[in-house]
Amino acid sequence: MISLAGRDILHGWGKFVLTGVGLGLLIGVTLSMAGVYRGMIDDAQALLDNSGADLWVVQKDTLGPYAEPSSLNEDTERPIRAMAGVDRAAGVTYLTMQIAHQGKDVRVMVVGAEFAQPGEPGQPPHLIAGRRIVQAHYEAVADVKTGFAIGDQVKVRRNTFRIVGLTSRMVSSGGDPMLFLSLKDAQEAQFEKDSDAIVRQRARTASSPVLNPPGNPAVLEAVNAAQAGSTNVNAVLVTVAAGSDPDAVAAAIRRWQRVTVYTRAQMEEILVDKMIANSARQIGMFLVILAIVSAAIVAFIIYTMTIGKIREIAVLKLIGTRNRTIAGMILQQALGLGLIGFAVGKIAASFWAPFFPKYVLLLPADSVRGFLAVMAICALASLLAIHAALKVDPAEAIGG
Amino acid sequence: MAEGIRIENLIKTYGSGDTAVHALRGVNMSVAKGEVVGLIGPSGSGKSTLLKCLGAVIEPTSGRMTIGDRVIYDDGWKVGDLRALRRDLIGFIFQAPYLIPFLDVTDNVALLPMLAGKSNAQARKEARKLLEALDVAHRAAAMPSQLSGGEQQRVAIARALVNRPPVILADEPTAPLDSVRALAVVDLLNTMARQFETAIIIVTHDEKIIPTFRRLYNIRDGVTVEEAPAGSPGPDDAGKS
Repeated sequence: MISLAGRDILHGWGKFVLTGVGLGLLIGVTLSMAGVYRGMIDDAQALLDNSGADLWVVQKDTLGPYAEPSSLNEDTERPIRAMAGVDRAAGVTYLTMQIAHQGKDVRVMVVGAEFAQPGEPGQPPHLIAGRRIVQAHYEAVADVKTGFAIGDQVKVRRNTFRIVGLTSRMVSSGGDPMLFLSLKDAQEAQFEKDSDAIVRQRARTASSPVLNPPGNPAVLEAVNAAQAGSTNVNAVLVTVAAGSDPDAVAAAIRRWQRVTVYTRAQMEEILVDKMIANSARQIGMFLVILAIVSAAIVAFIIYTMTIGKIREIAVLKLIGTRNRTIAGMILQQALGLGLIGFAVGKIAASFWAPFFPKYVLLLPADSVRGFLAVMAICALASLLAIHAALKVDPAEAIGG
Repeated sequence: MAEGIRIENLIKTYGSGDTAVHALRGVNMSVAKGEVVGLIGPSGSGKSTLLKCLGAVIEPTSGRMTIGDRVIYDDGWKVGDLRALRRDLIGFIFQAPYLIPFLDVTDNVALLPMLAGKSNAQARKEARKLLEALDVAHRAAAMPSQLSGGEQQRVAIARALVNRPPVILADEPTAPLDSVRALAVVDLLNTMARQFETAIIIVTHDEKIIPTFRRLYNIRDGVTVEEAPAGSPGPDDAGKS
């Protein structure tokens, strides 16, 4: 038996392909939305993977350092480092800010990490160009997505930093590329006050007889010095020793250090289930709406194509064509439209994904799921047309 | 001649009670194999209903219909598969050719044997043979839109004949044609009826072709009356117009 659907498609292939392309662009948008969601999850996981930590020690009862503000004294790391099962511990700071570069503002996450020893948690795990930070001040390593190049000078707050190394896939959970500074530089950038604020603070301190006791200027100097800098970090990243159980180490730190400690699984839950949850629901809603719109479009197209063939369908029924052959013809056309649409959508999504400002991750498994969903939607959408075709009275062919 | 189709006391009533419409009130007719008869009647006479019953599109309320030796309807019978009956026993020719626009000429004709379960190759072979007999084999690969009106009508006749049905129903096949072409189509149908031993019933209003019928059924108020067409040729001249 010849394929009636195939012949009909070939007969009006131009119209069919154009319709498929239109549907494909819609499917491309749908796949891209799924890719945006996957990209957000991947960014979150990259953030955790690239931090090199097994445990995140943060201010007690906070979801820091990524989901909530968290502040710890940098000295917190010392007793942790001495605890059983801890291999390394290092303080880190995170600050999202805009940096002017070559006339444009670049949104980055400034990360302060300890660079005295290679391999400390918080450092970028790999470089794609240049070298790591070796000086105590004014050197930076940037993610390639910032657009910075080796040797570029970038200004963070009042200080200028020279880019000495480039890394990749080092992004915040929001997809902002990272700029690594030494911990001291980052602390200064994060906690320093502007000149006016310092002047006002010093005047207020000097006016206080408690902080500026008469005849003892050394007290005022000491207070001003204490107020000038910050020794706080947002979190202490911990790697556990080989063979140690991260949960047990986390429990020990919680018990002794009056801090909150998250394991990798818990931090992933915070990032994915809490921070991304609303965005995921938003994207999910879009996916549902796009699926409904796609189904409506396919249903409308297939229904219109079928209604345009009522006389032919009546003739086919009159000469003895089975209902299932006619239903199969319509179903195959709907699936054909879905196939063309999916192919166009997949190509379109792959083509425009790199142009998105945030990472769009098109997973093969999502493509397979998308393909099956498109086929299912097309099959469902064809039901209306099949119903209309099966209701056609063969008598219509003989003028009755 | 052997009998092609016979109907006896065919009744078709739509609805029931006070609103019942008696479309056919006891129709009788018979057509022999190889014979072409005309069926005429004014609008509302029951012609369309009779055509639908003859074409196994609808079932009559009562009566008997046989095609060859096969009983199609009998009082109290419930016909199972009208579609299969139409496919295997009845060919249709319409006022317009109604060819499937997305199939070429060969496949338009071969579709029926394919639907009957024959292989594509066998079905196309039979289609081509018939197209040769109808002198349109040279357009076998053309699409219907590329054919002239006459060629389309010949392909439609080939489609009706391809499964060698014992009966062909032609619904106003000459309506859109001028006299010369209309008579040529009737001539062709007569030839085909004899060649394929098919009973052909032509439903028509066409005054040009009515005189060519050897036998003519006139249906009025749901009842058929057999009459001789005015100025019709004698029995020996049937089909030679």
